[in-house]
Amino acid sequence: MSEEEARDRARRAVEIALAAGASDAEARIVLARRFNAQARGERITKLDASDGRSLSMRLFLDGRKATLAGTHWSDEEIRAGVSSALEQARCVGVDPYAGLPDPCSLPDRRLDLYDKAIEKRNDDERLDDVRNVERSIRAADARIDNSNGSSYHDACVTMALANSRGALGSYRGTQAALSASPVASEGAYRRTAHYGDASRFLARLDTPNAVAREAVRRTVAFCGASKPPTQTTAIVFDREVAAGLLADLFAACNAANVAVGNSWLAGRIGERIGSDLLEIHDDGTIPGALGSSPFDDEGVPTQRTTVFERGTLRSFLFDTYYARRLGARSTGNASGGGIGPNTFFLAPGKQTPEALVAATARGILVMETIGFATEHASGLYSRGARGIMIRDGELAESIEEFTIAAPFPEILAGIDAVANDLKFDGSIAAPSFRVAEMQVSGSQSAS
Amino acid sequence: MANDPLTARGAQRILDRALRDGGLYADVFCERRSTVQMRSQEGAIHEAGLSQNLGAGVRVVVGESAGYAYTEDLTEERLIEAAGRAAAIARLTAEGSARATRLESLERARDALYDRTRTENAAPAHLAALLERAESAARASESRIVAVNAHVVDEVQELWIARSDGSFRFDRRPMVTLGVQCIARAGRERGTGYCADGGRTSVGFFESTTPEQLAREAARIAAVNLDARPAPAGEFETLIGAGGGGVLLHEAVGHGLEGDFNRRGVSLYSGRVGERVASDCVTIYDDGNLPEERGSAAFDDEGTTCGHTILVERGILRGYLHDELNARLMGMRSTGNGRRQSFRHLPQPRMCNTYMPPGDVPLDEMIASVRDGIFAKSFAGGQVDIGKGDFVFMIAEGYRIERGRLGAAVKNATIVGNGPDAMTKVTAVGNDARLARRHYTCGKGGQYVPVGVGMPTLKISAMSLGGTERE
Repeated sequence: MSEEEARDRARRAVEIALAAGASDAEARIVLARRFNAQARGERITKLDASDGRSLSMRLFLDGRKATLAGTHWSDEEIRAGVSSALEQARCVGVDPYAGLPDPCSLPDRRLDLYDKAIEKRNDDERLDDVRNVERSIRAADARIDNSNGSSYHDACVTMALANSRGALGSYRGTQAALSASPVASEGAYRRTAHYGDASRFLARLDTPNAVAREAVRRTVAFCGASKPPTQTTAIVFDREVAAGLLADLFAACNAANVAVGNSWLAGRIGERIGSDLLEIHDDGTIPGALGSSPFDDEGVPTQRTTVFERGTLRSFLFDTYYARRLGARSTGNASGGGIGPNTFFLAPGKQTPEALVAATARGILVMETIGFATEHASGLYSRGARGIMIRDGELAESIEEFTIAAPFPEILAGIDAVANDLKFDGSIAAPSFRVAEMQVSGSQSAS
Repeated sequence: MANDPLTARGAQRILDRALRDGGLYADVFCERRSTVQMRSQEGAIHEAGLSQNLGAGVRVVVGESAGYAYTEDLTEERLIEAAGRAAAIARLTAEGSARATRLESLERARDALYDRTRTENAAPAHLAALLERAESAARASESRIVAVNAHVVDEVQELWIARSDGSFRFDRRPMVTLGVQCIARAGRERGTGYCADGGRTSVGFFESTTPEQLAREAARIAAVNLDARPAPAGEFETLIGAGGGGVLLHEAVGHGLEGDFNRRGVSLYSGRVGERVASDCVTIYDDGNLPEERGSAAFDDEGTTCGHTILVERGILRGYLHDELNARLMGMRSTGNGRRQSFRHLPQPRMCNTYMPPGDVPLDEMIASVRDGIFAKSFAGGQVDIGKGDFVFMIAEGYRIERGRLGAAVKNATIVGNGPDAMTKVTAVGNDARLARRHYTCGKGGQYVPVGVGMPTLKISAMSLGGTERE
């Protein structure tokens, strides 16, 4: 199905919904051609090539909202689905804020989202890439004696959207990703780490060799690691871990959480919360970035929103519904029926991550965290971690099986250095940064 | 009832095409899934959603390699095309060939594990009533509750699995979940509580386990967490609560015993069957045959009958959890643990319901035996590193224990440990074994599947607690 046909189908779905009694309707079609391959040793162990499709609709019935999603999309199937969904809508409470965005024309911006080279790739080229990652991890370090498999993925995605207020638009995007998961044996233990890169453009994707080397570095770094004593110390968040922490912060900035009190940031707009170095934006307009798109999932043009400016909370991130409910404007963050990031990122500093470590007298470089349930209501951050001790600005012994914890406001206020290694390799991105002091829990402390 | 979208005759042609270029084994997984979801917020039904998915995936297996392709267009032409794409793996890896055995006629599951007569989703009005009851009970039970978010999901999944060894099976699996989240607030302090239940059953389940019970439990936990003190940092004697504490078994042991990791030799449990991996009071099972549990099924997502597998018996490692591919490569039989999220995914070896039978120590005796420790009553989730065995879980409700008495609640914190290390430090097993409330979902390799856990209270002599207070 072409982009044009997808738009027609979306428009047709809206017509059917209106004819079935909906007072307003929106239809979104996603077509995706995906390719996934995994190699392990000399073999290709997984090969998955599929053309997928989905139709998602939002139906409004006099202030009541229902959604319909699925793989069905003949006129008859849409009609049947709409009729069931409208029956459900009758059980929903009337909500004065529910509805489509105010009419606006969908921008036809050139954001550089599509790479013809990915569309034209043949299977041999793709399989060569993944085989090369797998070979390179074994060549990179003698301690690598096994692999959980290296992967290559690419996708060509078409998104089309139509609604009953006249919006009609579509765009296409590509992405490609390479990752590795090397294994080093150390007695009874297997050391593993996972590292990958992703980009909208093949030419900007890390080479198989670069991905392999970084994955191996992250694997062997922990050979011989020990459990550190319980202590309070400076924490340097490696950029991969920093992005994970930012994902938690995003949840607290998500207006859907703010509206129901499930965010420690609720009611704090205009308050100074972080240090001067806390500068966070959400931007859907960065050319070529994975998180960019001309309009969000309900057809609101994307924009650049400043969330934190020099430590002060400036804005939450909204879709149309929560913007109306909280008396704000949509920031173009509607995503798959909820609110999601475009590119939510921490602004970079000037020094390299190496210089940042060198400027740290004592602390821990955290390279991996494990665990996920931050309490967004209370804002308490607590994670299992792995990293490397920093002594007098030098990386010393590697450590593991400890936790790092602090209330989120203390983490943000404690940011006292930010590095320059920001890379837009996902919809949440951050450079490495340092927090002056956090609680580390490990073995019984000697002190 | 709607027609079968996959017939024996059609499936036969797809399997024949799948194996035409080589390959040892092929299967077709066809799935129809209808899900109704409803959410309440601020005392009103906020939104309702219907999701209807129908599609099929074709897999070709050669040695340790699998080719896959799926389609949402179930015309024979598209399915044959998908079979051709899946067969590409055989053209890459010329290792043996097989022919598809003639398919048996469709075998419909008939056991008593769960009710298969329900073909339709629950009525929207019924779901809305459950949410309204939960919402008002939560607010009535605790004055400091400032927000209640409840959701209910009702699902019917139908699946048809045709395999090149001639098996052709059908099942219809129901699932229902009602969850309540409460947020309590006093000044700037907030506390969250969550409680959910359900299983492979229908909304009738909530006549005995009522929305009011779940709501009051969520409100109680929210209030406990609002009043909780910051957790300490350091190593402590730890009691892990019965039921939901079973997340410990799932993370600390279960994942490390999944067949794919062990076949590749990347788990720290690889090659250790017959060895001691836990103290002798530890016995762990995985079972896909527990009535109405989330991880239960007549047969797994490869069409293999679900088993009862002894993982650890009195501290000795007894076996792994297998799907067909990894079992064959290790010269074993599938334990019926081949599971997948949907027709868009390849199967992986996964846990079903993982649990530990009771010991003989009463809970009050266990508490009395702790001088300075933590009672981690329930968890919000966990994660594990397979190679090293390090795991974490997040406490959803926890307390200090001081001089044998239960003390103040501690704020949500992470506990970190190492699988074999923690399991050899199990020093007492409670007499209070039970299965957890049914709401757990497990993620692996980007795929999410429902699971069950269960456990008696366990005492572990030392675990690291990731609090913020230095004592």
